[in-house]
Amino acid sequence: MEKKRVVVIGGGIAGIQASLDLADRGYEVHIVEKSPSIGGHMAQLDKTFPTNDCSMCILSPKMISCADHANVVLHTYSELESVEGSFPDFKVTIREKARFIDTDRCTACGDCIAKCPVKVPSEFEEGLSKRKAVYLPFPQAVPRKVTIDKKHCRMLTQEKCGVCKKACQAGAVDFEQEDAIIELRASVIVLATGFDLMDAAAMPQYGYGICKDVVTSLQLERLLSASGPSNGHLRRPSDDKEPRNLGFIQCVGSRDSKARNYCSSVCCMYATKESILAREHAPDVEIAIFYMDMRATGKGFQEFVSRARDIYGVRYVRSRPAKIQPANGDSGVLMSYETRGAAGESKTEEFDLIVLCPALTPSTNNTDLAEKLDVELDGEGFFRTPDIAHPVDTTGKGILVCGFASGPIDIPDSVSQASAVAARAAELISGGER
Amino acid sequence: MLRIGVFVCHCGHNIASAVDVDEVVEFARKLPGVVYAGQNLYSCSQEGLGSIKKSIEDNDLNRVVVAACTPRTHEPLFRRACEQAGINKYLFEFVNIREHCSWIHAKEPEAATGKAKKLVAMGVAKASLLEPQEEGESAVIPRAVVIGAGISGLAAAASLLDQGIETHIIESKNCVGGLLREVAVIGPEDIDSRNLINSLEKRLTSSPKAHLHLNSRVKEVKGFVGNFEVTIAKGDEDITVQAGAIIVATGTREFQPAGEYGFDEYPAVITQLELERRLAKSDFAASRMAIINCAGSRQPGREYCSRVCCNASLKNALRILDKNPDAQVTILHRDIMSCGAAAEELYRRASERGVRFVRYGLEKRPQVHAKENGVVLEAFDETLDETIDLDLDLLILATPLVPPEDSVETGKHLKVPRDKYGFFLEAHVKLRPVEFATDGVFVCGSARWPVSARECIWQGQAAAAKASIPISEGKVRIEAITAEVDPDRCAACGNCVLACPYEAIEIVEHLDTMAAKVNEAQCKGCGTCVAACHNDAIQQKGFSSRQLGAMIDALIRTATEGTQ
Amino acid sequence: MSEFNPNILAFCCNWCSYAGADLAGVNRLQMPPNVNVVRVMCSASVKPEYVFKAISQGIDGVLVLGCHIGDCHYLTGNHRTAKRIPLTAKILEKVGIDPRRVQLDWVSAAEGEKFQQVVTQFVDDIRSLGPNPMKEVRF
Repeated sequence: MEKKRVVVIGGGIAGIQASLDLADRGYEVHIVEKSPSIGGHMAQLDKTFPTNDCSMCILSPKMISCADHANVVLHTYSELESVEGSFPDFKVTIREKARFIDTDRCTACGDCIAKCPVKVPSEFEEGLSKRKAVYLPFPQAVPRKVTIDKKHCRMLTQEKCGVCKKACQAGAVDFEQEDAIIELRASVIVLATGFDLMDAAAMPQYGYGICKDVVTSLQLERLLSASGPSNGHLRRPSDDKEPRNLGFIQCVGSRDSKARNYCSSVCCMYATKESILAREHAPDVEIAIFYMDMRATGKGFQEFVSRARDIYGVRYVRSRPAKIQPANGDSGVLMSYETRGAAGESKTEEFDLIVLCPALTPSTNNTDLAEKLDVELDGEGFFRTPDIAHPVDTTGKGILVCGFASGPIDIPDSVSQASAVAARAAELISGGER
Repeated sequence: MLRIGVFVCHCGHNIASAVDVDEVVEFARKLPGVVYAGQNLYSCSQEGLGSIKKSIEDNDLNRVVVAACTPRTHEPLFRRACEQAGINKYLFEFVNIREHCSWIHAKEPEAATGKAKKLVAMGVAKASLLEPQEEGESAVIPRAVVIGAGISGLAAAASLLDQGIETHIIESKNCVGGLLREVAVIGPEDIDSRNLINSLEKRLTSSPKAHLHLNSRVKEVKGFVGNFEVTIAKGDEDITVQAGAIIVATGTREFQPAGEYGFDEYPAVITQLELERRLAKSDFAASRMAIINCAGSRQPGREYCSRVCCNASLKNALRILDKNPDAQVTILHRDIMSCGAAAEELYRRASERGVRFVRYGLEKRPQVHAKENGVVLEAFDETLDETIDLDLDLLILATPLVPPEDSVETGKHLKVPRDKYGFFLEAHVKLRPVEFATDGVFVCGSARWPVSARECIWQGQAAAAKASIPISEGKVRIEAITAEVDPDRCAACGNCVLACPYEAIEIVEHLDTMAAKVNEAQCKGCGTCVAACHNDAIQQKGFSSRQLGAMIDALIRTATEGTQ
Repeated sequence: MSEFNPNILAFCCNWCSYAGADLAGVNRLQMPPNVNVVRVMCSASVKPEYVFKAISQGIDGVLVLGCHIGDCHYLTGNHRTAKRIPLTAKILEKVGIDPRRVQLDWVSAAEGEKFQQVVTQFVDDIRSLGPNPMKEVRF
């Protein structure tokens, strides 16, 4: 009997877990991931709360399982082109974008990367360091194949250069390569498109893009990572010095009627985590977290916050900072905020480094996907899941959703939702009730 | 000829910040049998595994030792890499220098490096004596047992049944629905809980493969993944069910806050579930009310946040206002935990409709005073920095959810751990939220941690997905750690037969005498028989007395060399 | 003379105490670096011979850690451990070894803190007992 097929859109932790469970359940799974590697945002994280488990250590085995699994086919650097038909017989067209690399030949030895003269900001490092136009997004990337970025490659934009081709002993560089179109039939489609970080520069009062020493939480995550741009040494961007103090600002664009109404669910906890890590990396750094409500609702979360406060000396300040501006000179930041209580007053405090925790927003691809798949989004752009009895069902039959694509949730909830997707797919394919 | 390769992992900073990896590699290179020693930033990355596989081939290795994290999470990965490079996976040995070394000796780099060397020497010594093994297979009984018929148990069972899997559901009460029966409306979307319970129950009753055991409890559980035997006590009768997988969905209960905030003392002080009951009736009349959140939680002794209470308070505040638009409702809280989109929207709606929010702190807790037909609540509002008095008809305590009393017993039957509060402890808090470390046993819903109805349902489905995997596959592999008898050394004394908890050993004829024999399919690899044998005639594969003895020798040798 | 740094061997069962030791690591609970863990599937598989071998060759102390009684992954394995290890210590006492050099305790998968506490205490105890006299015996 031919295996039933499931297409999973998105190769972050939710898509990975859904794929592994579906594959273990005996279905043939095709993962469609827009970037050159699976792993998603979890791959960028240094540690995970509340255990401070090393993120790559727990994610990497799952990424490799996807690559190794007999029932999983990876389509990285790929997009969903179109979908026709309906449950249980979708006709799915996938566009595998040209990497300009023969992946059968590429060994990711790095010779081409060493020779490439073009430097562009690295997406994986959140712009904190540069990558080449031919690149491996991060050392643990799966698949371990380089990609030529056609927007920046001199050969592809100006038809001069080609040093990577000369450098490659395997003969893997192919400037003539074209996008590949893959058509397949699938019983079920899973949406696991994850989140984007809201552009903090859109809120100028927080100083992002104005003050050098204002970074996003994801940038700090990279600064704390041993494999990150500073090899895990806590440094501020303006002068590469270790900051003496560090301020976190919660709800930047979240819980804000002018930006995003909702709570992004994970920022209180990751700020707490990053505080603990920053203290471990730089024991003398003083840390303050400016918050509205400290939301610690998961297993072990409240204890984690207590540990940060009592053992690591993190100062929790209940206030929403009003304005951030440069301090004297190029370095440091002045932050104004109101203290609470009847004796509330305006205060200005100087910080060496400010970390913004911006709203996590639904993937911008959701609109396009919703149209192609004829499913509904909610007012915020998450896929709607109206039926509580079937919490991973979108409004389209046989089209399921898990992870942040359905709304703000953390990693364990994404993982359990992903497994729920596997069960739901099996229910639907087995002809179960709907 | 031994050709051992040793790979020491930096694990980013996790190991390398305390352990001098270069020094350990240099040390390992000189150990007997070692022909290659190297290091990786992350051994578990595709790059790390690739380099291990490459050096197996380049150096013609026949034993592999990885010094990194814990075998409990990463052993399968490295074993697979060995297999892919053409080495039997039982020729791999894992040395834990992260959880057992760098993380717990973070501030003593010299001592941590010394200990890492000892552990590596022990691992290499054991690896020298490892032998290739073949794994057996065991059939999986195509049937599942779900313990608990609350909302998560129902969801798990409904999913299994819809996947065509025969399912027994064991419920201690006389009806399904669990705690949700006491809640009329599910927030934040105002869903009728009875409809939801009925729709899930219908999926059970309409299936010929469902067996619902009400007024029943688990009496005994024997066996292992694929082959459990669950004895159900149903009244005076005992029923035995064979099953391939078990899902724990034993739910939760509301904490009764004896002695707190005048509970038990004043009739006007009730819990949130009592409020739910009263709100379900048509004659709900109170008009001045306050809800105290975190009553009995987020405080010493019960430090956790119970996750669902804030949203329940918000939902009930709005329901009160729906019934009586003139009612005055105050929510006393320490943080409003309305995570996500729908809950935050609920919070906003409550604020817009005039619910008053007062933030209190643990240092100045609200005080309850007697009053005719009600109570007076004296509270210190942290935001306003002043003390307020509230005249109340009703004071509602939003108390945490706590594990049911019988979870101790359930845990013991299934040999699965519980955390310090009594909630079940999953295999990995981040990436294995619905699994236990024990294969074939799964957990979902508030048995693991307080969760909303929606979360209960998807976790129920998630547990069903996990349980369905071995059942749909029809077989599980048996790890080759079973015991085997050397009949020439065996005196047929029968000690091992008595020691074995699984009746896996019998005395049989061997040549012209008698000897013990292990039935591999029944052996679970505990090694109890090994220690019971007076003649060293039984060995456990992968844990033989020679292997463990070699580890002891290596530990002594390394310590002696290290100090002199 | 430098401070006596005992060399200690610990047998941890795969299901409870090894997991408890892992949890101690995950929670970064700091403890003295003298205890070296050997993973076994069940504490009931620890032969008295291993303890005799270790002590007779100069290991300063042996710790055997299993699941709490009633929690054994292998049903009743640790009931045997509960009898066997104290008996092993008693036998050692007969030949002049302080029985406190061999200790049995129960650590569950959730008890990272207990693991830390047991290890710290045991290292202290062995420190106060001083080096294993067998270390000086040359066979």
